[in-house]
Amino acid sequence: MRYIPSTEEQKQEMLKQIGVSSFNELVKGIPEKVKPKGKLKIPDAISEAELADSILQIARKNYDFRLYKSLLGGGAYRHYIPEAEKFLLQREEFWTAYTPYQPELSQGTLQTIFEYQSYLARLTKMDVVIPSIYDGASATAEAALLSLRVTKRNKIIISAAIHPHYRETVKTYTSPHDTEIIELPHREAMVDLEKLKELLSGDDVASVIVQNPNFFGGIENVAGIAELVHDNKKTLLINTIAESMSLAVMKAPGEMGVDIVAGEAQSFGLSLNYGGPYNGYLAARKQYMRQLPGRIAGETVDTDGKRVFVMTMRAREQDIRRHKATSNICSNHGLNIAAASVYLSLMGTEGLYKLSLLNTKAAHYLEKILLKSGKFEKVYTYPFYNEFLLRSKSSISTLNQQLLKNNFIPPLAISQFYKGPLWENVLLFAVTEQLSRQDLDRVADILSS
Amino acid sequence: MKLIFEKSVKGRDGYSLPKDLFEDIDIKDCVPSYAIAEGKKELCEVSEVDVIRHFTKLSKFNYGIDDGIYPLGSCTMKYNPRINEKLASLDSFSCAHPLAPEETVQGSLQIMYELGNLLAEITGVAQYTMAPAAGAHGELTGILIMRNYFIDRNESRHKVLVPDSGHGTNPASAIMGGFELVETRSNEDGTVDIQQLAELMDEDTVGFMLTNPNTVGLYDPKIDEIQRIVHAKGGLLYYDGANLNASFGLFRPGDSGFDIVHLNLHKTFSTPHGGGGPGAGVIGVKEHLIPYLPTPIVTFEDNKYHLSDVGPKSIGKIRAFWSNFTVLLKSYAWILSMGADGLSEVTRASVINANYVLAKLKKYYRPAYDGYCGHECTLTGRDYKEYGIKTLDIAKRLMDYGVHPPTIYFPHFEPYAEETLMVEPPESESKETIDAFIDAMIKIAAEAKTDPDLLLTAPHNTRIKRADDVLAVKRPILHYDDELKIKDELGYTEADIDF
Repeated sequence: MRYIPSTEEQKQEMLKQIGVSSFNELVKGIPEKVKPKGKLKIPDAISEAELADSILQIARKNYDFRLYKSLLGGGAYRHYIPEAEKFLLQREEFWTAYTPYQPELSQGTLQTIFEYQSYLARLTKMDVVIPSIYDGASATAEAALLSLRVTKRNKIIISAAIHPHYRETVKTYTSPHDTEIIELPHREAMVDLEKLKELLSGDDVASVIVQNPNFFGGIENVAGIAELVHDNKKTLLINTIAESMSLAVMKAPGEMGVDIVAGEAQSFGLSLNYGGPYNGYLAARKQYMRQLPGRIAGETVDTDGKRVFVMTMRAREQDIRRHKATSNICSNHGLNIAAASVYLSLMGTEGLYKLSLLNTKAAHYLEKILLKSGKFEKVYTYPFYNEFLLRSKSSISTLNQQLLKNNFIPPLAISQFYKGPLWENVLLFAVTEQLSRQDLDRVADILSS
Repeated sequence: MKLIFEKSVKGRDGYSLPKDLFEDIDIKDCVPSYAIAEGKKELCEVSEVDVIRHFTKLSKFNYGIDDGIYPLGSCTMKYNPRINEKLASLDSFSCAHPLAPEETVQGSLQIMYELGNLLAEITGVAQYTMAPAAGAHGELTGILIMRNYFIDRNESRHKVLVPDSGHGTNPASAIMGGFELVETRSNEDGTVDIQQLAELMDEDTVGFMLTNPNTVGLYDPKIDEIQRIVHAKGGLLYYDGANLNASFGLFRPGDSGFDIVHLNLHKTFSTPHGGGGPGAGVIGVKEHLIPYLPTPIVTFEDNKYHLSDVGPKSIGKIRAFWSNFTVLLKSYAWILSMGADGLSEVTRASVINANYVLAKLKKYYRPAYDGYCGHECTLTGRDYKEYGIKTLDIAKRLMDYGVHPPTIYFPHFEPYAEETLMVEPPESESKETIDAFIDAMIKIAAEAKTDPDLLLTAPHNTRIKRADDVLAVKRPILHYDDELKIKDELGYTEADIDF
């Protein structure tokens, strides 16, 4: 077998050296009663060529997405991934290595993580960055748990304009801890500040969770929200970010009074992959440093005085603290740190800014021409980044079929997530740099014909 | 080595972007003044060539499974087949948006559905959820399933039993699930103390989390009694799948009475560890627990695959979207490559490998327990304490022989398992590589007695010397700007950062 190198002769030799006559003697510890009676009912082994063929047949049942442009976002964005990144990630030293427990053999992984932490610290202007939680939703849930621990309160206010999956995940994670989750309604697709003020009046809230840009693409007044939240000294403001590309043109959460950022970094060089693996992160103010869950890299020196990197502040973690750990997280999405680190290095200061700008401008252009077509109307008037809501005056299922026929993945029908007559025929459009001005003009043509 | 920031040159770039043809759109009309950044955020300014060289150099400071044996106990560091990587990167899969219309992603859904069925057959359960992103995420999912099951039965239970030998994630997951943790003690054979389990398992306990073979690498001979004790009190038995590599063809967790089975696809099913992930910690359950699975699951009806809501009893969502899809695809490909006989051979070869290491090294590194092991063996460095040598020093010295050390200091419970070295040589290691590992270990055993300093100052042949963990905690520098703030105090010379 190509993945099992020892020959039968070598295995027999090893058995002999162990001092047994057969393999069965080694596994006598397994009671006969639980041993299987027959062979597993799974197909017989196939060759590599047969495997490739059979998976290709299955792949063909997906649309050939290479040939499609996308108007779909909602927490996952199709940005271009440079070939240089793809090639670098094929270095086996990155993708076949384990968690960097032994720094002397893992400086590549550790320094890459440190550089990524440095990038995110600059983009968010926060003090400490945890580079990998599974995804944006679980990062938000971990931030919520942290706020319960730190404040010893049990009430969380969560914006209705946060990604519905993130909100559901927060509910699931907090469900065992007697937590009261209060939904903060939106007003015209943005956080309702009056309502927030009202909800905060009890002085018993652990945290307020808002997404920016929010699920509708809306650019929240985070500084204004922070002011209300921090009227109570203990309450934490958690800022969820699903489209981290926005950080390059937007004011940093650290400058707007945010206590914890819970982000999703898929936009930094990760493929859509039908929903995962992506990469979540946490960025926090210094005082929460030892309360944060997850791995972190730190700088130190070796015995020669060289600057080196290690996994640090390990006393928070499950393998050291067991039931007293800040979380059970162990494996994270390490390789995606490397992907994002390479991506951000390639983009650099200038590139990321320009890219982020391009996304915003292209989205606003599409909104403008769709409104001009007369086939759509605004649902609300609000400032947005690269996603926006429009109500179609005709049936959206026909529109979506038209788009698919013309090789565009249609925008999200918002009624999948938000119920009620208001949301009928409402679409959430997402635009990235992958759509040229010409593409957008075509979209408008298709949708208005 | 130098950080990317230290290679940055003003005015240099490494990006390639389409021309901005939206001159008619002004950013100031898009982003309100309260939200717009003042100026650009400084990352770095390097060319594509610089980036390629920087990360290529960094990669050379790493050790991966393709460099040699990586015998980390409980981690199952096996070969990661290339074909699986290739198949997972096919555009039809990698460019599939998770919210794309169902008719456009039938292939992705088919993979999820069929993998679930294969895993159900392999482990003897009824239904899998593909959602959990990692082992610990799967554990939390399992614990929440237990919680909802009892809530649904109007039973108020508060405790979870976990063996003292369990992975650290087990107790941490129990706490995250809102339960009180009760640890069962291991007996002198290294397995579950049945008498104590019977005393502790009561009607206030949701169940018992166990891995088999357990974390010291031993099959529990009393597995049937364990399941009877847990079930007699209405409890659920949870299988920690870290060690499934030792079970193919020998037992199926579902047949041994486990109600919830968690698998680490990134261990047993050959997907790469990526320097810490991503993995996938899928969860399988028996029929009676299906209503509690996270939502959605993939179903097949009317000749089409669907994402179907699990229903009102579901624990809800534990992540955004559906799964770590690429990890699933690689595991699916691996199972098809191996077939039923291949899987049995995986277990046979890895159990022989581990017992061979144990047989050869037991007189140098006194094992924690007597007897044959499963797919990993727990040795100890306790006999070298008298020479001032700790297991850590043995591990560091191994690096000088070009070998990645095994897991150290886990499991740990005195007096049997202290100064532990847990060695897991999976099926993809040949007799020759294992012999080389054994040789190195025997040489180190001699060195420990004759030249302990050689171990205390190890490693000597690696890119860097032993790193100071304590300093990292005492003086936290967690990103480059932290370093810049105390640059003078640090006083690095050029040679300290450029090597």
